[in-house]
Amino acid sequence: MSPRELFRSNAFRIALTFSVVVALLTAGTFAIIYNQVANADVGRLRAVMADEAHAAARGDDAALRQALALRLTHDFRRMDYVGLYDAGGALVFGNLPTRPAIPVDGKSHYVASYVGGPDSAGEAEPVLFVAMARADGGIVVLGRNLQELFTLRMAVARALAIAIAPTALAALAAGVFFSRRMLKRLAEINGSIGSIVEGDLRARLPAEESGDDLDRVAGSVNGMLDEIERLLDQIASVGDNIAHDLRSPVASVRARLETTLRAPDLPAKAAASVASAIRQLDRAMLTIDALLRVSSVEARRRRSAFQAMDLSAVCADAYEFFAPAAEAKGVAMSLRAPASTPMRGDFDLLREAVANIVDNAVKFTPPGGAVEIACAQVNGNPELAVSDTGCGVPIEDRERIFGRFYRARSDEPEEGWGIGLSIASMIARLHNFQLRVEDNHPGARFVMSGSVKAPLGLTPHPPGGRKPGFWRRFCRGGSGPVAA
Amino acid sequence: MPQSKYIYVVDDDLALASDVSGELVSRGYAVRTTHLPEEAVEAARNGQAEAIVIDRMLGDIDGLTLVEQMREAGIRAPVLVISGLSTVDDRIEGLRAGGDDYLTKPFELRELGARVDCLTRRLADLNATMLQVGDVSMDLINRTVRRSDRAIDLQPREFKLLEFFLRRPNQIVTRTMLLKQVWNYSLQTQTNVVDVHIGQLRRKIESAGQSRIIVNVRGEGFMLHVAA
Repeated sequence: MSPRELFRSNAFRIALTFSVVVALLTAGTFAIIYNQVANADVGRLRAVMADEAHAAARGDDAALRQALALRLTHDFRRMDYVGLYDAGGALVFGNLPTRPAIPVDGKSHYVASYVGGPDSAGEAEPVLFVAMARADGGIVVLGRNLQELFTLRMAVARALAIAIAPTALAALAAGVFFSRRMLKRLAEINGSIGSIVEGDLRARLPAEESGDDLDRVAGSVNGMLDEIERLLDQIASVGDNIAHDLRSPVASVRARLETTLRAPDLPAKAAASVASAIRQLDRAMLTIDALLRVSSVEARRRRSAFQAMDLSAVCADAYEFFAPAAEAKGVAMSLRAPASTPMRGDFDLLREAVANIVDNAVKFTPPGGAVEIACAQVNGNPELAVSDTGCGVPIEDRERIFGRFYRARSDEPEEGWGIGLSIASMIARLHNFQLRVEDNHPGARFVMSGSVKAPLGLTPHPPGGRKPGFWRRFCRGGSGPVAA
Repeated sequence: MPQSKYIYVVDDDLALASDVSGELVSRGYAVRTTHLPEEAVEAARNGQAEAIVIDRMLGDIDGLTLVEQMREAGIRAPVLVISGLSTVDDRIEGLRAGGDDYLTKPFELRELGARVDCLTRRLADLNATMLQVGDVSMDLINRTVRRSDRAIDLQPREFKLLEFFLRRPNQIVTRTMLLKQVWNYSLQTQTNVVDVHIGQLRRKIESAGQSRIIVNVRGEGFMLHVAA
């Protein structure tokens, strides 16, 4: 899984948002604590000090001195400053030799850097002071060192800074973990969809037992696939029924034509037409038969995978069958195949596909030419190539010759590419092969090679390639690309 | 062929029945056509049916059920089932029900004729380990072929091709039949590939001035021709 993929994933974005929210919430909590520590305390102090100052101003001198002395005695932390000055401004009692320069109004005043605290050793300290005039013209000053409070405030701020990063990171890490998991499951689901698109309707989306949203969606999709499979089976059986229903009338017509052909008094011209009609009928039945066989193999494949088989054996069979006829025509036929080319497929159908391609090649190769049947494993995929030195296939026909009803050279009514190639291409598609024709300089080269696998599915099919699965075409009523 | 025995063609498609009957008559059989299966079963019970050609689907009646009932009743007349149901499973079902052969529609009349020929000889052929036609003999166990006293060395596919002819002496064998049954290819070949294979077989079995036994039948196919 690439980082880019991770960033694009929805789950990761949610995780990112989540971690930002968590960070903000943490920061907010700390801000409240900080505010409490920093300001609420100071506010309380201000009020208390103002009260104390007022009380101190009213009392008599002896009681005040005693109270102040008690205050200093109890102050183990040396935070309290006290100064009692006479009318002349001289220190009468306390630990503040010089009176801080604040208005004498009974309100607390903050001095950010007060120098001259008793234990300060000349350091500047933040101090809260309140000064109050006494009836005898003296002034009482109460002070409170805020250094400790500020230290606490700093500690809280530092704690906030230290804590917020790991919290956000933890949230992000959880997000990455869950989005990776999600992405992995999505990749699995995508893979299953890919193989379904490739035509393997048995495949189902993986569902875990957790019953989460994704599982519920996968469950629904699987239900939908069950239904699609059932419908396809139904269509297949309808197709089969139609084909079977066709057989009886065609059998009748064919038998009638054959009987007619045997009549001794049949004019030569009529005999030729009847013979041609029989050929056309056989041709039509051959197509229907091939369709039926392909559809039954396809239906079987939806239940069980293809069998292991050997493409080399298929080629050797075709070579053995066609070589004598090619030789008789003066066409050199050669076979280039490894001892074995294992693949999964339907042996009989592939045999038929290869035979049709080779038959075609022999037919269009003039005496003195050559036809080669070759197969090999290319990048782990089996590949078959039938090359000839015949007239080749014009570029504009290279797609169309695989169409169901295409026939080149309309000036030769009985000649042409025939339905063999369309049957071969149908069989190739069933195996996720692509059958195409190339230039052999001179001649034609028919190549049947493994389709581009789309493991994540949903990738577009290679240009020039056909949609996988013969179903789509079959369901559209069998209209090939050139039927129009 | 004793005239008391008939081939019964049972089909509710009267046109097809009449064409089938025409083919069989031309092969020298006495034929009775009917759309009532009971008629054929009755004849078979009385030993009057040499063979029965029955359509699997006769209106609402399943021809196979009928064959099954016949077999249960101990009637052994050979039965050829013709049917529009063409899958391997359908064929197996047809043979299991007691049919001796199964032919899928549409078919060549000649092929139907050839199959009926086989059926009427089947009991004799079934257990044969040797095929002997004229001066050609084939040992199916040791896979050897002799013509008169000369041993002939054949490739496996040539052996199968010759066996196909030896099982159908004096019958027309079409190219489609050979393609399908000897090579298992269903294709409408546009080349003379079957003819060339037959030519090769001929060179082996008709060499050294021996008479021609596989002959071309113009426009139809081939025939293993031996004097009766």
